Amino acid sequence: MKPLTRWSAVLSLALIAGFAASCAKKAKEAPPTPPAPPPTPPPPPPAPEPTKVEFEPAFFDFDSYKLRDDARSVLGHDARVLRENGDVHVTIEGHCDERGTVEYNQALGEKRAQAARDYLVAAGIDASRIQTISYGKERPFAEGHDESAWQQNRRAHLVTR
Amino acid sequence: MIRRILCGTVLLSLIALAKTEGQSPSDVRIDISSGGRRIRIHCEWLEPKGDKAAHAMSVTAEEVLASDLESSAVFSLTRAWVPGQQPFDIQATVGGQWSVSGNQVKLTGEVRDVPARRPILVREYRGPQSDWRSLVHRFADDVVLQFTGEAGVAQTRIAFVGGQGKVKELYVMDLDGARLRPLTADQSLVLSPAWSPAGSLMLFTSYRGGTGPQLYVISSEGGREYLISGRPGLNTCPSYSPDGREILCTLSQDGNPEVYMLDARGGSPRRLTDSPSIDTSPCWSPTGREIAFTSDRTGTPQVYVMDREGGNVRRLTYDVEYTDSPAWSPRGDRIAFVARTGAGFDIYLCRPDGSGLRLAVSGGSNENPRWSPDGRHLLFASNRDSIPGLYVTDLDDRSPRRLDLGGLRAQSPAWSPRLPGAGSAVNLNLDDAKRGGTR
Repeated sequence: MKPLTRWSAVLSLALIAGFAASCAKKAKEAPPTPPAPPPTPPPPPPAPEPTKVEFEPAFFDFDSYKLRDDARSVLGHDARVLRENGDVHVTIEGHCDERGTVEYNQALGEKRAQAARDYLVAAGIDASRIQTISYGKERPFAEGHDESAWQQNRRAHLVTR
Repeated sequence: MIRRILCGTVLLSLIALAKTEGQSPSDVRIDISSGGRRIRIHCEWLEPKGDKAAHAMSVTAEEVLASDLESSAVFSLTRAWVPGQQPFDIQATVGGQWSVSGNQVKLTGEVRDVPARRPILVREYRGPQSDWRSLVHRFADDVVLQFTGEAGVAQTRIAFVGGQGKVKELYVMDLDGARLRPLTADQSLVLSPAWSPAGSLMLFTSYRGGTGPQLYVISSEGGREYLISGRPGLNTCPSYSPDGREILCTLSQDGNPEVYMLDARGGSPRRLTDSPSIDTSPCWSPTGREIAFTSDRTGTPQVYVMDREGGNVRRLTYDVEYTDSPAWSPRGDRIAFVARTGAGFDIYLCRPDGSGLRLAVSGGSNENPRWSPDGRHLLFASNRDSIPGLYVTDLDDRSPRRLDLGGLRAQSPAWSPRLPGAGSAVNLNLDDAKRGGTR
């Protein structure tokens, strides 16, 4: 079995070599070609499909899922974007800062995502376009252990899907 | 001292005996002075017998045995092989023989009282060499049984969540940190493991496949994962009832995180809480008749207790502003929970009626307290050191000890029930042992 394999390997190598040689020969025999045209700029990338929209996060107070005024204004903007882009479906991620237990923060993150969803639905967005997911304290924006990091991590964040 | 303990605790001994096998009444002593005073024992060598491997193995086995006994929180130990550790005022010695023959190991474990050096326990453990650690743990648990009337917990394992960033997996290991290995390979976020009452299965939360948190079950030896609950929204905080027939968890399928009871396969959901706020982190009482859980219905997270149908809800304590993560002790007499005090979270204990509040663990931020099956220890996750890890406190004034996970970042621990003993064990005739004796 082994010698046979070796022979077939030699054979295929020989074939490849022969084919390559003939190609090279053909290339040599071909008539001279005109010089290549100057490189054209690459075609513009195709329009993303479906529409990708970047959303700003809506922030929350510690241990709270009540929408603050700044969160309402962010979500008001999000609602306008969603109204103008009827094909966009979103998942709202709910996040928390590192304080408190894994399990409680999963529930808190879910409540934050739901609060954001409820706002968008009240603003006329079809609920079927919105999913929620809570990551609790497992996906922080900022890794620090102070209030500035914590504030960035207490958020509801729309991502297109 | 021992005699006084003996006299005072005959009744306790008998109660304990009802639960144990192969012991005669005179064998059992109870340490009723568990207010921090430990029984002083001297660990002697395990005399090697058989082929060359026996000597090297016996040296490791001695250390495993001593470590088991020391971390039982029952004993204060001196070791014969440590220079300068003179047995002083000891109450008993522990030792025996270690025989290796082919791939079989035989441990003859002996306990003798002091000063008479009369054997009070001689037991022979046999099993495959590959499982020698389990034989040592089994002997250690029997030594604890001998002195307290209740077996130790060396034959238990710890499950936890290890890793960091977007990928965290489930791991298991022996209580002493040996035989650490991953259980899942979800390449996702895995959280909140919980053992079945017999220790053969484990429930957990996973975000595998890019979904939200869903509940799965896996054999505690590893293998395929089975979906238990993949309802819309949260599927978190699973735990088996003491009889293994039901599962408590948190679902948000009705639009709000609520505590549910499912059957063991994840079906027939019954909603136990009903408030527009967060209800989560349910935990069973050891009888399965009551449930502790966390709710923020008054504005801040607080631990509540209710009956298993969801009625008779009462707040556990009014003394702390923010409480969470309840864990009911195996004897039913205490609930451990975390409380936010200043920057971090501490672990407190109180009785199920809220009385007897006391601080058990502070320093850094501490979460997920989990009781040992004998109720003598609490396991918890903490960020007190640079790498977040797991710690065990014996609920006395000693510092919690960090479990060695080889640098793995760890959280969400779960303490297994007592697991079935490895190999075989038979009691030997004490009179024979009296004539032979160890050095």
